[in-house]
Amino acid sequence: MVNEDNSRTGRETDGNESGVSSGTLSSPSRRRAFLGSVGAAAAVGLAGCMGGGGSGPSGAFKIGVLAPEPSKNPIGSSIANAAKYAATTLNENDGVLGNDVEVVVKDTHEDPATGKSKYQELTVGEEVDFTTGVFTSEVMLNLMDSIAEQSTVHMNAGSATPDTAKQVKADYEKYKYYFRSGPVNSHYLGQNMIDFADAKFSDLGWDSVAVLAEDYAWTEPVTSVLEDKLAATGVDVPISKRYASGTSDFSPIYDDIESSDADAAYVVMAHTGTSAIVQWAKQQRAFEFGGIHVPMQFPSYYGSVNGANRYAVVQNSATPNAAVTEKTMPFNEGYYDQFDSYPVYTGYHTYDAVMSYVNAATAADSRNADDVIPEIESQSFTGTAGTVSYYGQDQAYPHDLVYGQDAAWPLWFQWQEGDGSGSQTTLWPDELASGSYQKPPWV
Amino acid sequence: MSGLTSTISNAVMLSALYALVAIGFTLIFGVGGVLNLSHGATITVGAFTAYFATSVFGLNIWAAAFASMVVGAAFMIAFYLGMVQFVEDQPITVMILTLVMSIVVEEVAKILVGTQPRALPSLVDGQIALLGGVQANRLLAFALSWVIIALLFAGVNYTRTGKAILATSMSTKGASLVGIESKRMYLYTWALAGLLAALAGVFLGSIQTVSWAMGREPLVLSFSIVVLGGIGSIRGSILGAYVIGFLEVFTVSYVDSSLSGLASLVVLVIILLVKPEGLFGRELTH
Repeated sequence: MVNEDNSRTGRETDGNESGVSSGTLSSPSRRRAFLGSVGAAAAVGLAGCMGGGGSGPSGAFKIGVLAPEPSKNPIGSSIANAAKYAATTLNENDGVLGNDVEVVVKDTHEDPATGKSKYQELTVGEEVDFTTGVFTSEVMLNLMDSIAEQSTVHMNAGSATPDTAKQVKADYEKYKYYFRSGPVNSHYLGQNMIDFADAKFSDLGWDSVAVLAEDYAWTEPVTSVLEDKLAATGVDVPISKRYASGTSDFSPIYDDIESSDADAAYVVMAHTGTSAIVQWAKQQRAFEFGGIHVPMQFPSYYGSVNGANRYAVVQNSATPNAAVTEKTMPFNEGYYDQFDSYPVYTGYHTYDAVMSYVNAATAADSRNADDVIPEIESQSFTGTAGTVSYYGQDQAYPHDLVYGQDAAWPLWFQWQEGDGSGSQTTLWPDELASGSYQKPPWV
Repeated sequence: MSGLTSTISNAVMLSALYALVAIGFTLIFGVGGVLNLSHGATITVGAFTAYFATSVFGLNIWAAAFASMVVGAAFMIAFYLGMVQFVEDQPITVMILTLVMSIVVEEVAKILVGTQPRALPSLVDGQIALLGGVQANRLLAFALSWVIIALLFAGVNYTRTGKAILATSMSTKGASLVGIESKRMYLYTWALAGLLAALAGVFLGSIQTVSWAMGREPLVLSFSIVVLGGIGSIRGSILGAYVIGFLEVFTVSYVDSSLSGLASLVVLVIILLVKPEGLFGRELTH
């Protein structure tokens, strides 16, 4: 079994990983990797030796990737594989600044302490050019000081908490090394739910919705936006509930929603989402279902829940069958060719994160973080999940991906059935729509 | 009122499943004196057996449920014969061993299917117009649980083997004196516990979902149920399952869903302090 923790992909020849094999890890690097994991004090000391050198890293251009359970979790494998795919495409085009591109993947196990130690291994031990990935907001927040200490750019691709950008806002010089390439932060995920409600609820026939959010940190900004703005779109909100993170039986909650006569449950779910959708479908509850639901974004989800997700409406950054930009479909196809599966949203954002940094490093003609940062800040380019640009220092969420119709603008799809299997039929925005909404027959 | 009716119906259905889980847990402790922390893992084994039987081997869910019971019992027999029997007189070693086994099962489940939960087909589809509409699948799980509990009760009280198991639970020495092989009785209880837990896993998987960590919550609830009912008492476990089941569902429905796990733990602590022998006590000690 491949140990993802140490997996590397470099320039590929004859189908084998040949960029760097474990044999090329020099013994000083091994020692540094060891030192990196023994504690923050050692890390700070080494960072002092490394930082401020002016020229940045040398040798192969290394991308450090932090992913949750990349061999078991589709979110983690999409992060790791998208970075590897980006390295493949870059190496096919002469690498970055004349250097081969390598990818080093470390597993965060969704644990803040593990994430920190793996981050040290990447930056101090592997001396990567920049890091990307991280899915869990708690892991991301715990890395902010390490990122500042290492003075190494991190392109967040997965976690949605706006608190990281608030730290950049509070102390720009210290935290300027942090960027979010996607998804849009959870405040804007909530804003997008408002925008969808405004644009589509009347078409769906949803006059009244029950807001249902799992009680995790990432959903707080979303529910706060929904509480402030959803009723103003003209929709009735009889229930707004944050349910316990360990909930496995949704019957009592669904009874409440049915009693309220809401047309739909408007949900914000990731960790508990599968139990929720399976029980909704099996119990044929008398309300419709839609919102942010991370597991339902997985392209292969239909099979794993026996089609329980049919008729549910889901927000996503991009899907395998919607050309969000001209780069989305080529990315989908290339990724599928390399890994025999399609990515989830973290894949699109990781690819965009890598390209964002590479574009900036190329424009700056430098691998020094302090030279690259101004280029990232000023860039605007077409990514696979929308236009990639970042908010400035004077805005509410500096260095976060810009949200908007001409920037990152999530799409909404419905799980529908075609030829016995599920398909993600895009409903909105209108220019991407590939079908119309189907009401669950039991409602 | 319809809210209260559906809450009661939820509680009644869920409690029957808790009873299935708790009876196996209390049997092993009552008869063999072993605190089996891998009991929750057997639920997971049962649920995943049904998942693989339906999704990979294409069996229907009924055949899959039967396969789960066989695999659940076989898993527990193998675990007992292969490991536990050699250390069953050392409670700390047994606790560590059974805890390790439960972690191994979780890790294997993660490797085989990943961290995302999976759905199992319902044993029966549709709704039944009872108590304001009940999912037929839940009603069946409830009814089947009671059939099995009744069979078990009759078996323990009225068959020679059942009486021998009961005798072993009362006194190993006494049972040995009248010619009962305690080892064989232990093996029967492990097999029975495996069968019941695996079936509970199929029901839970079919009503909720199948996931690598699905055995944890029932294991923790089993502690509360078994201590409340009286360790080793089957009647106590059934009553305990209903008390805890109602407490859980009513807490989620009328107080706060985040307090669900906590409520049963509070009961556990209170019983341990106030009435440590539980409602029914132990029939007898070793």
